[in-house]
Amino acid sequence: MDQFRRIQTGKKGDIFMVLFKDKKILDDTSLDEIRTEMAQLLGKATGPDVLLDFSHVEFMSSAMLGLLGQLHRKVTGGNGRLKMCGIRPEIFQVFKLTNLDKLFSIHKDSPAALATFT
Amino acid sequence: MPLTGVDVLIAEDSRMQAKILQRRLTEAGHTVRWAENGSLALAMARERRPDIIISDIEMPVATGYEFCKAVKTDATLRTVPFILLSTLSDPIDIIRGLDAGADNYVTKPYEPDYLLGRMNALLATPLVSDEDAAATLEVTLAGQKFLVKAGRQQVLNLLVSTFENAVAKNQELVVANQELSVTRDSLQRTNEELVSLNAEISRINTHMVRDLEAAAKVQRSLLPADDVALPSLDITWRYVPCQSLAGDFLNVFPLDEERVGLFVVDVSGHGVPSSLMAVTVGQFLTPKVSDSSILVRQGPDGRVVVAPPAEVATQLNRLFQADEFSGLYFTMLYGVLHLPSGRLDYASGGHPALVRVPASGGPPEFHGAEGFPIAFVPEVEYAQNSLQLQPGDRIYLYSDGVPEAMDKDQEAYGEEKMAACLEGGRTSSLEASVSDLLEAVEAWCRPKGPLDDITILGVEWRP
Repeated sequence: MDQFRRIQTGKKGDIFMVLFKDKKILDDTSLDEIRTEMAQLLGKATGPDVLLDFSHVEFMSSAMLGLLGQLHRKVTGGNGRLKMCGIRPEIFQVFKLTNLDKLFSIHKDSPAALATFT
Repeated sequence: MPLTGVDVLIAEDSRMQAKILQRRLTEAGHTVRWAENGSLALAMARERRPDIIISDIEMPVATGYEFCKAVKTDATLRTVPFILLSTLSDPIDIIRGLDAGADNYVTKPYEPDYLLGRMNALLATPLVSDEDAAATLEVTLAGQKFLVKAGRQQVLNLLVSTFENAVAKNQELVVANQELSVTRDSLQRTNEELVSLNAEISRINTHMVRDLEAAAKVQRSLLPADDVALPSLDITWRYVPCQSLAGDFLNVFPLDEERVGLFVVDVSGHGVPSSLMAVTVGQFLTPKVSDSSILVRQGPDGRVVVAPPAEVATQLNRLFQADEFSGLYFTMLYGVLHLPSGRLDYASGGHPALVRVPASGGPPEFHGAEGFPIAFVPEVEYAQNSLQLQPGDRIYLYSDGVPEAMDKDQEAYGEEKMAACLEGGRTSSLEASVSDLLEAVEAWCRPKGPLDDITILGVEWRP
């Protein structure tokens, strides 16, 4: 099911696994494409469980947080769960500065994150 | 009336070219034999005398010239018309052909039908076996003398064939020239269209630049007034948008006789959507009592009531909730400073902590408050913290463009360097400390320059 340019996707049970392929998520074009691809992936799923893997991402603009916020609302609005993993310290700083590390469920790596989905 | 049943011998080392020619000749009703070099072809010709020979020049084992010379010196074969297929890339080719005794040239690449026409013409005037007419001629070409033994008829035939070739090539050139001229006309038209499109783009661009300038002017109206002067307070600020329109803005203004409001707002992203949001936010953050202000309102006794910072943040967050979150949000640090006491109440919507540089000489302190970015999470209450300033204390508010500024190796400037820079500025004026920090950040980002808006607001309390 790997038809996307910006994200690599897979499924573990009912959990949508999403790996961001880009090293840098900075410009509006990458953001718009990620937004579109995520919408295509999740489609009409109501309250899906989603795991976002940031382990390839080295730089990320604060506008990406807005996109994550949108996802968060879509997923949790339908009683789904959104979790994140593989966030390196520089990127974590972006979450921390905005207090969003307290909103999002952030885990070390994908096994650790998957274990919390039970 | 085209001839049929002619016995044709082809000497050609390219199998493909030979096949093409062979098929065309067979279709025209001729008998065709093919040899892949001059030596084999000569053997075939001796075995059975052909009516005409068509030969390539470049061949392994006896070239076309050698083959031709052998035919023309053979008593039985000498009157067989001989057509040489040549690229005629060099005038010497003609001399060589003459010398070899060739009767006709056809230049390659050729149309098979053209070759057929040539063949028919040649067969229509049978060659006379006239050995005595062959004279030795002296020809000078490119400074070199050639002795060529050729008969009159052969010379004439050959020259006429080369001339015909030249005429045919010339016609091709004329056609090519006409095509070129058509192409040139269409290029010219395309060019004219491009010029007019360019003018259109430039016109649209002028419009956009004008709109952007107008929008930037609206944005500047969100910044502190030039003459903002408050008793017991020193104020300095810098605002450097990374594009013509910014998502950052700040302000400082008196709220009532005793209190001053101050804030830095940073809308996510850049450009038009972010700046539109900034302008909208700015309308709510006004110190003028009005329907839109959420900072002040008229109390029942007619006095101005100043809203506490946490209430401002909570209300802003409520105001900026849409049915569907667009992904656009902003961070804000809003403080209310009580001038007589030096007490600062503040709230933060996901904004970087403010820095206090104590007058006493202690290390700079970061003071933040819990709270998500505004518009991000619906229905949240914001916390409020207080900070007691001492006379001479400085506080700095800034956007994340300062600590998150990247150098060429993508390393962030960071809070530590920022705090150290502000601490180092304590001995200089407030103005100098702010401009030093801006310079340090800009130096950090060299050579590309900052990728984010940079906003710094410095305040010193001097009761």
